[in-house]
Amino acid sequence: MIDIQNANKSFKDTPALQSLNLHVGAGEILGLLGANGAGKSTTINMLLGFLAPDSGSVKINEKDTFKQAREVRQLIGYIPENVNLYPYLSGMENLDYFCRLAGLKYSKAELQEFLSTCGLQSDAHLKKVSDYSKGMRQKVGIAIAYAKKAKVYLLDEPASGLDPLASNDLSVLLKKLANEGAAILMASHDIFRVREVCHRIGILNQGALVKELRSEEVSANELEQLYLKYMTN
Amino acid sequence: MWQIIKNEWLYYSRTPWLLGISLGFVAVLFVSIVLGYFQAQKQTVQYTEAKNDLREQWENIDAMNPHGAAHYGTYVFKPSNLLSSLDEGVNSITGNVLRVEGHVQNEIVHSEASQMQSISKFGKLKSSLLLQYIIPILLIFLAFSSISNEKRSGRLKLLVLQGAKPFSLIFAKTLSIWFYGLGLLAVTILAYAFFNLQDLNSEIFSRTVLFFWSYSLYYFIVTGLTVFFSARWQNPTIALTSMLGLWILWTIFLPNVLMSSVEKWHELPSRNEFKADMKEDRSKGLDGHNPSDERTKELKANVLEEYGVDSLSQLPINFDGLVMQEDEEYGNKVWDKHFGNLRSVFAQQKQSYQLGGIVNPFISLQNASMGFSGNDHLHHQEFLVQVEQYRRGFIKTLNDKHAFGGSKTGDWGWKADNDFYKSVPDFEHQPTALALVSTHYIADLLLLMGWTIAVFGLMILGTKKMQVL
Repeated sequence: MIDIQNANKSFKDTPALQSLNLHVGAGEILGLLGANGAGKSTTINMLLGFLAPDSGSVKINEKDTFKQAREVRQLIGYIPENVNLYPYLSGMENLDYFCRLAGLKYSKAELQEFLSTCGLQSDAHLKKVSDYSKGMRQKVGIAIAYAKKAKVYLLDEPASGLDPLASNDLSVLLKKLANEGAAILMASHDIFRVREVCHRIGILNQGALVKELRSEEVSANELEQLYLKYMTN
Repeated sequence: MWQIIKNEWLYYSRTPWLLGISLGFVAVLFVSIVLGYFQAQKQTVQYTEAKNDLREQWENIDAMNPHGAAHYGTYVFKPSNLLSSLDEGVNSITGNVLRVEGHVQNEIVHSEASQMQSISKFGKLKSSLLLQYIIPILLIFLAFSSISNEKRSGRLKLLVLQGAKPFSLIFAKTLSIWFYGLGLLAVTILAYAFFNLQDLNSEIFSRTVLFFWSYSLYYFIVTGLTVFFSARWQNPTIALTSMLGLWILWTIFLPNVLMSSVEKWHELPSRNEFKADMKEDRSKGLDGHNPSDERTKELKANVLEEYGVDSLSQLPINFDGLVMQEDEEYGNKVWDKHFGNLRSVFAQQKQSYQLGGIVNPFISLQNASMGFSGNDHLHHQEFLVQVEQYRRGFIKTLNDKHAFGGSKTGDWGWKADNDFYKSVPDFEHQPTALALVSTHYIADLLLLMGWTIAVFGLMILGTKKMQVL
C-alpha cells in the first residue's frame, strides 16, 4: 500500500531524504524512529502529497501521492503531533465537521461511538474543546482519522501528550486497524511504544534509512542501544 | 463549502467579544438611522412650515405692481430626500434655500455645514460613515487572519486532507465574512425601511436595491482581497498591514488626490471671474430699465408694427412688460450659456472622477451610494434646473400681467389685484426619477463588478499560491 522507492528530497542545498526506500503492506505497522530533522516529517508530508520528491517515487495504492494527491488523500487518515481543533466547538462537533468535509455523515450515536473507541470519556463529548487537555484533543484527532475508515494511516508522534492509559488505548486501536487490513506508518521518538505496536521498525538518520528490522528481533533495550548508536554515528 | 461557512458562523455566534461588537455595531447603526430619520423629519417639517408661511405671505399680497412683485420674489426650499438617512451625500454642503426673483438667478444658500460649529463637523454620526468606513474595517479585522490562522494552528493541513479544496476554503471564508457585512447592511436597510414604511414606493425600492447592491459588491471586494492577502502571505501582520494600507489609500489618499487632479484637468472659473463674465454678457443685451437700448428699439419697432400704431402711447398694452420679459429672456440665454458651460465642466469632472474607480473601488461606491440615494451633485443640479424653470415661468407670468393686464406704457403705478397673485402657482419639486439619471451610475456599478471579478480571479490565484505546510 505504501511504497517509497529511491526517494530524494532537498530543501535548498540541504538534503532531507536520501535514496529512501520504504514499503508498508496492508495489515502492517511500520515505526519510523529518528531524531529531530532525521526526515520523518518530510517522509510523511510526501506521503500526504504536500511535497514532491526531487527524484524517485512515492506511491500509495499504486497512485503517485503528489500528482494524484486528491485521490490518495481519500485513502489516508492522518494524526499529527498536535491536534489543533476549533475551540468553540465540542469534541463531537469537531469530529462531525471534519467527517462532513470528507463527505461522511454520521449519526450522533456513531460519532459518540468513534470518540469512545478512541478513548475520550463520554462526559467530554459535548464539552467545548477550549476546555480540553492536549491528550483529549489528541483523542479527537485520532477519532477523526478513525472515522474516515482509511486504508492508510500516517501518524506523526501520535502518542504525544497522551497519558499512559490513553497511549495504551491507542496501541490497541492501531493493532485493531492493522488487523482490519490498514497499512500504518508511525513516526515517533518513543522507542518502547514503537517496539510494542509496530511489526517493523526503521531508523532514519539524516534523511537515510540506516536500519530496518522486525520488532520481534530485538528487545526494547537492544533497540534503544541500536537507536543511540545510529544517532551518535 | 457550506460546511465551512456554517462553521465560521458558529465561530461568530459563539465568540463573546465578536458577538458584543456585532450587537454594539447594530445598535450604533440603528441609532444613526433613527437620528437621520428624525433629522429628515424635522427638516421636512421646518421646510413645510417655511414654505406654507411664504405662500401665505404671497397669497396675501395687497394689490401691487407685478414688477414690484417680481422684485419681492419668493423662496424655494430643497426638500429632504427620503434616502437622506442612508447617505445624505452633498446635501450638507450644497445649501437648501433659493431666492427666486426677477432679473437675477440667485445662488442656493443656507447649507447645513455653513451653520455648524466647526468642531461638530467631525462628530456627526451618519449611516454613510458607518457603511463606507467602519463596516469595511470590521470586515478587514475579521478576514486578515482567516487563512493564516488555519495554517499556523495546523488545521489547514487537516482540512485539506479531509477533502476541503483550497479554493473552497478561500471562497467559503470570504463568503462567510461577506455575509456578516451583508447582515449589518441589511439591518441598516431594514431599519430605514421600517421608519419610512409609509413613504416607500417602487422608485425608492429600486434605489434601495441598487444601493444595497453597490455596497454588497464593495464588501465582497474588501473581504475577498483581505482573505487573499491572508492566503498569499500567511503572516497575519503582513496581511493586516497591507489591507489597512490599501484602505487608507482608497478612502483617504486617492479620493483627495484624484479630486484635486480632476479640478485641475477640468478647471472651473473663479467666482469673481464667472460673475464678471456673466455681467459683461448681460450688459451687452437689454437693460430692463433702459428703453434706449438698441434691442429695445428693435423690439419697439416690431411691436408698433404688429399693433399698427405710431407711438407707444397708442399701444393697447404696456410695452414696459414686454421689455422686461425680453430682458429676462436675454438674461436666461446668458445664464444658459454660462451655467451650461459650468454644468458641462461638472459633468467632465464627474466622468473623470468616476474613472478613478478603475484604481479605487471606494470612489465607485461613494458615487453610487450618493447617486442612488438621490443626494449627489447631479440630483442637486437637477433641482437647480427645476427651480430656474419655475423662476422663468414665475417672472413671465408677472411680466405678462404687467404687459397685458390692462395698464399702459409708463404706468408704473398700475396694480394687479390679490386674486392674480393667488393664481400664480407655487414651486413643486418633482423628485428626479432614477430612470433619468441611472445612466450616470452604470459606470460605477460596472467598475464595482469589474473589481469583484478581479478579486474572484485573485482568489483563484491565491489557491495556487496557498502553502499548506
